[in-house]
Amino acid sequence: MNKTKLLTILMALTILIAGCSTTSGGSSNSAAEGPLEITIARAFDITGLDPGFLTENAQVVDNIFDTLVKRDENEKLVPGLAESWSKVDDTTWEFKLRQGVKFTNDETFNAEAVKYSIDRVLNPDNNAPTASYISTLQEVKVIDEYTVHVITKKPDPLVPTRFNRYPTEILPPKYTEEAGQEQFAQKPVGTGPYQFVSWEKGSSVELEANPNYWGGEPEVKKVTFRSIPEASTRVSALLNNEVDIITAVSPEDREKVTSSTTAKLSTVERAGNTVYVGLKTEEEPFNNPKVRQALNYAIDVKSIVENVLQGAAVETNSLIGPKDFGYAGEFDAYEYDPEKAKALLTEAGYPNGFSSKLDTVGWYIKNTDVAQVIAEQLKAVGINITVNNVESSVYRTLVPSGKQSGMYVLGWSSTNTLDADAAIYAILRSGESYSTYANPDVDAKLDEARSTTDEARRTALYKEIQEKVLQEAPRIFLYQENQYYGIASDLNWNGRVDGSIPVSTITAANQ
Amino acid sequence: MKRYVLKRFLQSLLAVLGAATIVFFIIRLSGDPARLMLPPEASEDQVAALRESLGFNQPVWIQYIDYLKNLVTGDLGNSLYYKDSALSLVLGRMPATIDLAVSAILIAVVLGLGAGILSAYKKNSFVDHALSGGVFLIQSLPVFWVGIVLILIFAVNLHLLPTSGNRGLTSLMLPALTLAAYPIAPIARTMRASLIEVIDQSYMTTSKAQGFSKRRRVLQRGLKNAFLPVITVISLEFGVMIAGAVVTETIFSWPGVGQLIIQGVSNRDFPLVQASILIISIIYIFINFITDLIYLLIDPRIKVQ
Repeated sequence: MNKTKLLTILMALTILIAGCSTTSGGSSNSAAEGPLEITIARAFDITGLDPGFLTENAQVVDNIFDTLVKRDENEKLVPGLAESWSKVDDTTWEFKLRQGVKFTNDETFNAEAVKYSIDRVLNPDNNAPTASYISTLQEVKVIDEYTVHVITKKPDPLVPTRFNRYPTEILPPKYTEEAGQEQFAQKPVGTGPYQFVSWEKGSSVELEANPNYWGGEPEVKKVTFRSIPEASTRVSALLNNEVDIITAVSPEDREKVTSSTTAKLSTVERAGNTVYVGLKTEEEPFNNPKVRQALNYAIDVKSIVENVLQGAAVETNSLIGPKDFGYAGEFDAYEYDPEKAKALLTEAGYPNGFSSKLDTVGWYIKNTDVAQVIAEQLKAVGINITVNNVESSVYRTLVPSGKQSGMYVLGWSSTNTLDADAAIYAILRSGESYSTYANPDVDAKLDEARSTTDEARRTALYKEIQEKVLQEAPRIFLYQENQYYGIASDLNWNGRVDGSIPVSTITAANQ
Repeated sequence: MKRYVLKRFLQSLLAVLGAATIVFFIIRLSGDPARLMLPPEASEDQVAALRESLGFNQPVWIQYIDYLKNLVTGDLGNSLYYKDSALSLVLGRMPATIDLAVSAILIAVVLGLGAGILSAYKKNSFVDHALSGGVFLIQSLPVFWVGIVLILIFAVNLHLLPTSGNRGLTSLMLPALTLAAYPIAPIARTMRASLIEVIDQSYMTTSKAQGFSKRRRVLQRGLKNAFLPVITVISLEFGVMIAGAVVTETIFSWPGVGQLIIQGVSNRDFPLVQASILIISIIYIFINFITDLIYLLIDPRIKVQ
């Protein structure tokens, strides 16, 4: 009787809501009625909109600002605010700038603006968080109104790449000075395809198309970036037509999206981190290469990828992703062979195995499950592993401080540089915060590869480095994660390897 | 009376100071934020430089004294990530959290009191057991599970309500229901126990002798007296909701203080976390203080020495 009462109340409430609610939280662009307006849901809100001082990725600000160099849909470097660039000598690059471009506040884009935008990040007093991305630069010289020279401390093959990503977005000097750093981060002005409208902290940022954009006015007239931290809620919002694009669809939710009539799944293979188990190679027993090789033979990566990750990653021994400069194809090594693992352990003087700890963190797909399976598989060859799950903010400082266990999970990628240097230098070069490996030969090659502009030489070096590392096995080679986006059926767009979301490339699907 | 109020007020101040101190030290246990604020490729020199510019290289007790000094002047510092005053960020998010907490407590009070009164009225019957079991079950369900299930039913399947965000009354419904699930039980239980006790008391027996019908007796006389302990529970639960909406706010991406705390903790944004906890503590302690005063005013049995 009372349950019925309760139900009645609930039903009444529901009917009441249904009566006065219109569920158009987002937008459905069916039948191309009026201007195209879309909502994109990501896992995080932004904390500021100043591309020189970001503490998160540049997915949102990249739509408000331009860089000198852009990437097309095939991830190839193409002209942006620079019409062309060339190497003058080993440490000088010349950029010829696009003329007639204006910031949305009518300031003129020119060489001074480029110099100003880079200088403020390079200035050590400003403590720009991403200054390390351009720390190879000595200075920017204004040659004339539309020509700049970028001078590097040493030869730097990555200059064009560096001018494609934050923090090298170009800002209007006059407005930036007047507004001050704090104010600018709240009300940014750029030359990009979109201009800033509003930012509701903690929930959404709204941008509108820049009608005078030098690349032509984009088709999407208004875009709202919402933050929905909970992955399952993000998928529900897409299926409920509240949002049009969602990032980071979790592997468990893929099915929901593919089986929906109003949304589709966009799979970007190997766009994520290359995940591996790092080993402290200076400590016993991991200082013995035979032990490290044994660990690799003991792990059945194929079954982990298929059964634990449900195919949400690609098994690989390569340190470098297929879209990165320096990719040398896939290497054959370390098939699953527990007998060989045991033999190697015996040779290394551990006939009865040993015990160790494996640190994990929730950053990677099903990381704890993967770690448990790894522990099981190692148990089969006599190695006892205690899995130790660490809280995220602690983990971020654990490896740099060297306080992690003998074995630890880590994922690394070239992020949006798409170059081998970003993919491997920080985790293999001795003395780097995230490296637990030291090999003078590999160090020398890593250093040479980041300071020569000869592409053929670089390619050769990265191949040699990988062969060496594969043989030395300072890590357990695992897999590279895929990334998934959910996209409304009435939109044309696909996720990108560099993780950017250029809204100007999103169009309405022809129905 | 005056002395009692003053004493409680001073106790409250002390509690706020305690909360401010505890949060200051606890959040510093896991290290400082300098490494987290920079990309992983950043060198140790860069980290050290940033640490120095933020003042985290100072001994902790010096930082603590500075923190207290600023606290007295009402300066809670700037968020490390938003670069904005931590206090204004928290106050900006407070309305959303209060909207949510008030709606949830209203739902919980209506359902909890209803269930409690009915249980007491039908003491030890099947209805009583079913209701007690029911509210207990609802209380035991994990918050994130309730939230996700409600989203699946009302948003994805029925398309009645939005899944998330803060766009007026419709988006308030699901998070408020989710948040209300837990406190229904304590309110119902307290109401039931308290009402049964009152019914059993002698003056109720007197009114029985005067020939009132059972229902009127319960409702008119019993309720008023039975309500006292329930007030305490409701106000305590309300305080918990102001502080405890963290999970609910995350599931429904409700832009309140709970979400800010989660963000602040995962980034070790010290000033932001300190400000959030401080404001929430003040509200919580203030609610308790007011509850005590209300008690004092409406319960003739409490005589303050």
